[in-house]
Amino acid sequence: MVGPPYDCLANPLGAVRLTFEKAIASGSHPSSFDGKDWGAIDLFRHFLFDQSQLSQVPILSPATLRWVQPNTLVRFRGMIQDMLGNEFYVGAYKDGSVWRTNKFMDFSKFPMDSSPDMRVWERRLLYCVPVPGISSWAESASEVAIDRRMNWTSQQRDKRGRMDFEAMDAEDTPVPADNFEDSPTAKRMREDGHPSPSSQSQDYKTEAACSSTNVELEIYHDSSPCLVKIYDSPESELKLNDVFEFVGVLTFDSEIPVETGDRDDFCNDYSDDLLVHLPPHKVPRLHCLIHRKLAAHDFLHKSPSVEQTPHLVKEARESLLRHLTDVLGNDGVAAHYMLLHLLSRVHSRVDHVAVGKLSLNLTCLSKESFSVFGIQLSLAIKNLLPFSTCIPLTLEYLSRSSLAPKKDYQTNRLIPGVLQLAEGSHLIIDETLLETGTLNSVGVDNARLLKNLLEFQKVEYDFTYYKMEMPADVQLLILSEGKSNILPADVILPFQPSSVGTSGVVTTEAVEAWRWYLAAFRLLPHSIESEMQKVVENDLVAARQADRSIGSQDFSRWLTMGRLISTSFGETSLSMEHWQMVMELERQRRERLLPYRN
Amino acid sequence: MASDSSPAPFNNGPSSPDDSLSSPIGNTFSSPAVDTSRRNRRRGRSTTPSAFATPPHPPSRFATSESTPTPRRSRSNPRQAAVSTPSSASECAPSSEGGDDMDEATPTFVWGTNISVQDVKSAIQMFLKHFRDNNQNQGTEIFEEGKYMKAIHRVLEIEGEWLDVDAHDVFGYDSDLYTKMVRYPLEVLAIFDIVLMDIVSLINPLFEKHVQVRIYNLKTSTTMRNLNPSDIEKMVSLKGMIIRCSSIIPEIREAIFRCLVCGYFSDPIVVDRGRINEPTICMKQECLARNSMTLVHNRCRFADKQIVRLQETPDEIPEGGTPHTVSLLMHDKLVDTGKPGDRVEVTGIYRAMSVRVGSTQRTVKSLFKTYIDCLHIKKTDKSRMLAEDPMEVDNGSHRVEEDIQFDEAKINQLKELSRQPDIYDRLTKSLAPNIWELDDVKRGLLCQLFGGNALKLPSGASFRGDINILLVGDPGTSKSQLLQYIHKLSPRGIYTSGRGSSAVGLTAYVSKDPETGETVLESGALVLSDRGICCIDEFDKMSENARSMLHEVMEQQTVSIAKAGIIASLNARTSVLACANPIGSRYNPRLSVIDNIHLPPTLLSRFDLIYLILDKADEQTDRHLAKHIVSLHFENPEIAQQDVLDIATLTAYVSYARKHIHPKLSDEAAEELTRGYVEMRRRGNFPGSTKKVITATPRQIESLIRLSEALARIRLSEWVEKSDVIEAFRLLEVAMQQSATDHSTGTIDMDLITTGVSASERMRRENLVSATRNIIMEKLQLGGPSMRLLELLDELKKQSSGSEVHLQELRNAVATLAGEGFVVFHGDSVKRV
Repeated sequence: MVGPPYDCLANPLGAVRLTFEKAIASGSHPSSFDGKDWGAIDLFRHFLFDQSQLSQVPILSPATLRWVQPNTLVRFRGMIQDMLGNEFYVGAYKDGSVWRTNKFMDFSKFPMDSSPDMRVWERRLLYCVPVPGISSWAESASEVAIDRRMNWTSQQRDKRGRMDFEAMDAEDTPVPADNFEDSPTAKRMREDGHPSPSSQSQDYKTEAACSSTNVELEIYHDSSPCLVKIYDSPESELKLNDVFEFVGVLTFDSEIPVETGDRDDFCNDYSDDLLVHLPPHKVPRLHCLIHRKLAAHDFLHKSPSVEQTPHLVKEARESLLRHLTDVLGNDGVAAHYMLLHLLSRVHSRVDHVAVGKLSLNLTCLSKESFSVFGIQLSLAIKNLLPFSTCIPLTLEYLSRSSLAPKKDYQTNRLIPGVLQLAEGSHLIIDETLLETGTLNSVGVDNARLLKNLLEFQKVEYDFTYYKMEMPADVQLLILSEGKSNILPADVILPFQPSSVGTSGVVTTEAVEAWRWYLAAFRLLPHSIESEMQKVVENDLVAARQADRSIGSQDFSRWLTMGRLISTSFGETSLSMEHWQMVMELERQRRERLLPYRN
Repeated sequence: MASDSSPAPFNNGPSSPDDSLSSPIGNTFSSPAVDTSRRNRRRGRSTTPSAFATPPHPPSRFATSESTPTPRRSRSNPRQAAVSTPSSASECAPSSEGGDDMDEATPTFVWGTNISVQDVKSAIQMFLKHFRDNNQNQGTEIFEEGKYMKAIHRVLEIEGEWLDVDAHDVFGYDSDLYTKMVRYPLEVLAIFDIVLMDIVSLINPLFEKHVQVRIYNLKTSTTMRNLNPSDIEKMVSLKGMIIRCSSIIPEIREAIFRCLVCGYFSDPIVVDRGRINEPTICMKQECLARNSMTLVHNRCRFADKQIVRLQETPDEIPEGGTPHTVSLLMHDKLVDTGKPGDRVEVTGIYRAMSVRVGSTQRTVKSLFKTYIDCLHIKKTDKSRMLAEDPMEVDNGSHRVEEDIQFDEAKINQLKELSRQPDIYDRLTKSLAPNIWELDDVKRGLLCQLFGGNALKLPSGASFRGDINILLVGDPGTSKSQLLQYIHKLSPRGIYTSGRGSSAVGLTAYVSKDPETGETVLESGALVLSDRGICCIDEFDKMSENARSMLHEVMEQQTVSIAKAGIIASLNARTSVLACANPIGSRYNPRLSVIDNIHLPPTLLSRFDLIYLILDKADEQTDRHLAKHIVSLHFENPEIAQQDVLDIATLTAYVSYARKHIHPKLSDEAAEELTRGYVEMRRRGNFPGSTKKVITATPRQIESLIRLSEALARIRLSEWVEKSDVIEAFRLLEVAMQQSATDHSTGTIDMDLITTGVSASERMRRENLVSATRNIIMEKLQLGGPSMRLLELLDELKKQSSGSEVHLQELRNAVATLAGEGFVVFHGDSVKRV
């Protein structure tokens, strides 16, 4: 392969143009493209993956936005928060006798007449935001690549950019700001300022300060959305709430002001959404060339290329278990359940049943002990998983917050709710703060939403005239004083610490190994041998014969646990030994539950 | 001759299409062009439409004399265009009599196409004048006017402003015209309007209003998601929900200016390419002042305009997507026809306009805004299944707007399905496939979905067709899941929980409007689910008061209100599906069925089917459950449930059956009914039985009729056959576990419960019972010596060598026989009586 005569990084549009001209020269007519790719994508795919130049592409973030030039190649990692429909654009047109294309750009560089040769193509608009509840380590991992390329352009530009951004922060988060204007914690949070992603230690402090009470700000702070324009990809490929990495051409801060003067009312009424609510100088546009779905391990600093030797796996598992036991004040059973809980995911859905979820309810936590263990625990989880959030279940919170996303028809946008979470997010619900009182209708609705999420792993999105259920995959951890009746979890475990939880000294390598362990093993496939299946079935029947109160839910839980235990050992099929571990764990748990039976 | 003069106006007449407001799609532009090179080539085709004309109809003077229309730039200002067209027509020299030589005239083509304007015009004339409904009587029709001529007369009478044209009619009359209309709506509709105006002025020359054509009911409708660039400038039809309406925008159509110097009023200036050209000089010869003209608002003519946003309906959204929206542009009378929340079906022209970045910028931003120029809007109210209920007999007037259109292919597919011998079982399997077993309960629910025939006698007495079902059972037997499933599937399903429902919440209540102080009637759940299924969970936990409200609803199907000066009777033709736990949460085998259910008999008798869903310690069932859950976790669930109809097909099937099938009782079936009922009554009077048993009442025979009708409907059969009646009896019996009931005490022998047992297992048990009976018949004398159970077992084993028989099973079989009064079963010995 001869070296390309263009710079894919700095001038991606040049590359696009070149391939277009080549395609035209080779005799294809633009009308035959019909918006489909003519070879440009292959070129970039080759450049990014075969030549592994992906790491050279800067990641779009508030920090990088200050120096990244428009019309260069960038990447953006985020969650699809809203879909804004399709957009028709002039795909190809004739400039004199030369065919030109507008694909991957907002404005045509050449004058365009409305000639009959104009081809109209379509592209999809996706509104993407950084993944809600993304942990600082995952965020900073994304920015590793840039440090090498830090060529600060003029100071002047930087300053202006920053101002822009502060202005944007204030304006772009109207919803949470409204909700939190008068809550004191929010103010404190604001004074804390944004945690700088580079300094890990300071970050830790900030996070400690922000206990569970101000999650919303955590979600929306530094919200740097991006409008991604998708070309030729099937609709089913990109779904709401998916986490993607988009590589494409950036257009941002186009100097052309939006004029409203000359347009008649007709135009104005139609341009109500995009230009006004997402002005191009505030929300960057990314014309996507290549997109790929991200899994948790894509957020790791370096994916350990170590092959999964049983020895290493076992080591990682044991050290992680030790760590969790430490955090949980020497409660080994709780640590075991916690490990399984952290590995769980919805792996299939049969009608309304979400198979594979394992929500955990740690009981016997009071307000006081929460401050000891709860915060430790949430920090530990944040440190292990890329996306995690915490909800304080107070009466006020339930009655005032908007948990479900809601469609705003004035702006034609989906307003995010706390429960619009990416696949595989972790959610801690702190019920220790709940006191007796009355809920208003919003509160009842919110409680119902949480319950639905817990039972069916589905969130109802509010479209005013109807509700739409969206599947979710969220690991739910509930901390409560007694058994939570509002939120019926799969596993209820009385928490019995014997010492004050300490996170101990944790080396960076260890943490990274654990992150890798959790990210990689969660996705392991699983099966069951037919003999083992017989054994399991017999055990289930025997259990039910012995105790009539055991029902399908208990069966489901055991099978999920069996799957997760073998997963935690890196195995893909259930063995007798692991099945017995499940039974042993359940026995210990039942013993703990006994005193609470009435 | 027209051939010489007709092209003339077109060369100067049309406006330029290069308007930034209109669509930039080059090749779909309509610009009339004279294509002399194509002279006469269209002859063969142009005669086609006239072939339809019966009798041969010489084109009238008016028809041929007017000019070919000036296809307009934009449909967004139809009135202006239409007003201007006749004026250009007057310039055109009227052609002489004898339009027969049309083919000699120079054909005018729609620009960029091979569609001749004259052809289209004559085709439209033919259509409007001669189209007749097929189902009209063919004999008398010749003297009658066509459907649309009648409609035009009606429009003139009521001084209407539009004429609704069914696109299906156009298609049926002239499919070529239909294709052209959909492909080039701007041009064809302009011609349509002109033809219509000609006809109107022929009938009533003094009629002033402009009548427009509104097309509706296209052959194909697209979804919002599938709109793509190739649809631009075409006629489309789509369904959606209105989510936002703009305020009404007055749009200027004609402007009048006044000179500030001399007070001279200008002539009306019409909108040209979306703008009014303000005169710079006073037109009055004496004045001629410059820049003195000012707009006189109250003498200008305005038209209403409204922009409406339409969103996809929830059922069209794929998983993991958000709904798409599209803007609609409404004019004149269409303004305010829908309000947010309405579900509508819209016919219109899909259009795109380029977005200009700014007037100073020469570059056009290479984007388009798309919208639909609305021609016709129809409100639909189709939420789930067919809401319009066919069970109502007395609705002679069928609504014109049908909610679900079953096309030919779909109907055939459904009929094909119904011919399958196992359709009953397949439907049963498809109902809540993840709920394991409970086949007979599902059969009952299936009957409820299909429903029986409602009957209204001339005397005023009416019999409901709705089937009410009560599920009573132990906790954890997935009753609630069944309820949820039915609620999702059924038309206007309402789901309430007994604990949270009050009497008024279920029926109706009167409240005072806080602003006006008027009393208003608010519907409760039962009224809201009129013609649907009302699902009531935790029926036993409902207050006594609320439950008593159900009496009226469940039999008379009305809700009567007499309070706060309002006396009303509201329709509540709803099927009730309730579920309850037995008294004391778990079924107590030592109590009788009635005592366990503990509901007043008046209410109980109103339920057609009462299912006892009991959880019993049976290793077999437990194993099934274990297997089911293991497979749920470890196998690919898609493979696990094959041969199951998807929900869409199921819904379509049910809707179709409810709508089109009205089964009647065959004589054979009626006989069977009578016989079975008498039998049932007799069993109620079983010697030694107390009031602990649910005995048959006349209500039951109605239930049986409804059930058999529903069963016939499931097969899409117009006749209720004997087999349906037998199955109905079986359902009734199974539901109450009657085969397991000890008639003397009213308790249930838990080992005999057959619900939750698979069909094959049930067959086996039945075989065993009959085999046992045969042996007893053979071996035992009436009133003779008794026989030990083990001996019986040996006999059985001798006879049926293939299958294994357990002692316990035999014991059950003998107990069944004892229940029938065939034998006496005491300890270990069996004695025939």
